[in-house]
Amino acid sequence: MKAPLDLKNHRLVICLGPGGVGKTTISAALALYGARAGRSVDVMTVDPAPRLLDALGLDAASAEPQPVPLEGIIDDNARSGSHARLRALKLDPKATFDSIVTRYAPSNAARDSILKNRIYRNLSAALSGVGDYMAMEKLLELYSAPGADLIVLDTPPASEAIDFLDAPRRLLDLLNSRAITLLGLSSGRLLRGLKVVDLAARAVLSAFDKFTGLNLLTDVQGFVESFEGMYSGFAERARRAGALLRSSESIIVIVTTAEAARIAQAREFAIALEAAGLRVDTIVVNRMMPQIPDSAELRDAKVSVALKRKLTRNLKDFQALKERETRALKELRTGLSPKLRMLAAPDLGREPRSLADLAELANNLEIIRD
Amino acid sequence: MNLPRLIFVTGKGGTGKSTVAAAMAVALSRRRPTTIADLDRRRSSLRLLSSADFDSQKPFTIDKNLEGLALSPHSELEAFIQRIVPLKSISRRMLESRTFGYVTAALPGLEAFLMLDRLRILSGDGALKDRFIVVDGPASGSALEFLSVAQGVKGIAPTGTLNRLAHSVQSFLTDAARFGVVITVTPEEMALREALETFATLKSLGVQWVVAVLNSTSKVLFNAADLAALTPLKSHAQLALRRNAMAEYTISARDQLKAAGLLVLELPALFLAQIGKAEANHLADELDRAL
Repeated sequence: MKAPLDLKNHRLVICLGPGGVGKTTISAALALYGARAGRSVDVMTVDPAPRLLDALGLDAASAEPQPVPLEGIIDDNARSGSHARLRALKLDPKATFDSIVTRYAPSNAARDSILKNRIYRNLSAALSGVGDYMAMEKLLELYSAPGADLIVLDTPPASEAIDFLDAPRRLLDLLNSRAITLLGLSSGRLLRGLKVVDLAARAVLSAFDKFTGLNLLTDVQGFVESFEGMYSGFAERARRAGALLRSSESIIVIVTTAEAARIAQAREFAIALEAAGLRVDTIVVNRMMPQIPDSAELRDAKVSVALKRKLTRNLKDFQALKERETRALKELRTGLSPKLRMLAAPDLGREPRSLADLAELANNLEIIRD
Repeated sequence: MNLPRLIFVTGKGGTGKSTVAAAMAVALSRRRPTTIADLDRRRSSLRLLSSADFDSQKPFTIDKNLEGLALSPHSELEAFIQRIVPLKSISRRMLESRTFGYVTAALPGLEAFLMLDRLRILSGDGALKDRFIVVDGPASGSALEFLSVAQGVKGIAPTGTLNRLAHSVQSFLTDAARFGVVITVTPEEMALREALETFATLKSLGVQWVVAVLNSTSKVLFNAADLAALTPLKSHAQLALRRNAMAEYTISARDQLKAAGLLVLELPALFLAQIGKAEANHLADELDRAL
């Protein structure tokens, strides 16, 4: 058996990448790959296509790990005698945030006032970064729970790699900012010591309130007051998540396809991560075209002239597409560390829709050589 | 075909959204002066058409009848704040402060809403000057959030200036003379599903003019007899099947889009090693014919 990827010494695989490249599919395939090597794997998906959800035996409400039956998918001999196992779950950012609030709220009254607050509802539903942060939270939960010895993490699509890894810091910055303290001050208190910018911010908010009729200021104050006392719990977990992502137990995998625009994004991801002190271990290029057959074979083929003409045209067309792919891969290599491993996942010629399809991907991962 | 003044192009990532937007702008600029407004962070459609350096928010010339405009929702918000806080030194420092981030976090749709209002103004301006505007919008998931924001604003601001703005934005989005959407889609299952979902949501928002551009289409090349004769040539047979599968999915995608009630324009798959401005012009020819 060829082993393009060695996960023996790792406990966590983080898959990052632009949207639409099959990141969830590759995460699931890597999880199967780990299970096949005898590991006990949890895979957390973020936004799987319905068919992939079916393939993993999940439904929209599977926020806790569900066992994925592996009979007939990985070799029975490989399974017996090892603790190979695969569980899958689907991240629900809103539910995760709610459960964290429930866990850390100092009282039931505080919990309820946070969950009902308009600022919180907007934060949890729409602030970009909350989904990222919640994926991180769920990861810590899975990591601390007994059972899985390998966790594969799919992440929300991002236009910038750093979005995901930076999410805890951004959220904490927001919650810990002077702004929040400032906005929490009721109007009766002394405003001495505040900078002109802060005063202007308050002025804008209240002008805004008048202009829009939104009562934003009251909501912000309510939110800040109810969040008091929860900050340290959040901060501690964010610190632990950050340490875990940077530990030698974790590897970062960038998923992309060979389209020019995606390749450019993947390169930006890799460069940004390196700049942030995070080491990218592997780039998986998904949906790689098969090898194009030799034209010599066609010359001697015993088929009609008309058919030979069609075959020649078809060959030429696919050669052009393969050439486009090859150029894109070369572009991807430029300027990146030569130590970076590049794997190809084959284009199955259809959307992966079953565990068998995922297994086919896992079995056919190949190292791309220059 | 009656074209709306402003055409908003969206689609799943990888369906050629920016290429189609660029080709659409080139095609329209052959009839009338046209602006291509790029909302995409990567500015892909502008980069496809021009190698010039461009400033955000300022139109620049691409061709005789074609100008480019790079827009960003954040700049719209900045302009809005600068209107409320006229003292420049204070508004600038405010925009850099975290408090400001907090205001936007509390009202996440505000940037999008102000951008929609900007599109409304662009479209009205286009009507006065007889110009077309093509917008390279965000990918379909975010585009739907973006286009739905006026409804949300009406909900949280039941009266006042924002409410009035939200009303005029909504009447803009539902006016086929001023606003239309092009959904780009490729003959693939995921892209097709997303296009159909996008169309359903646009209908529920009351958008009147929606057209699908089915990109990368191909025709069946090998018949059953061909395929039978190919059995001994294993690798070529596989490639022939692959070609036919693309063509068959083209047919099925076209049928499903039409069955949903969409008008479908088609662009052929380009079997080329590289896609650049020449190819965008070629696609513009195709679109010109289809329009």
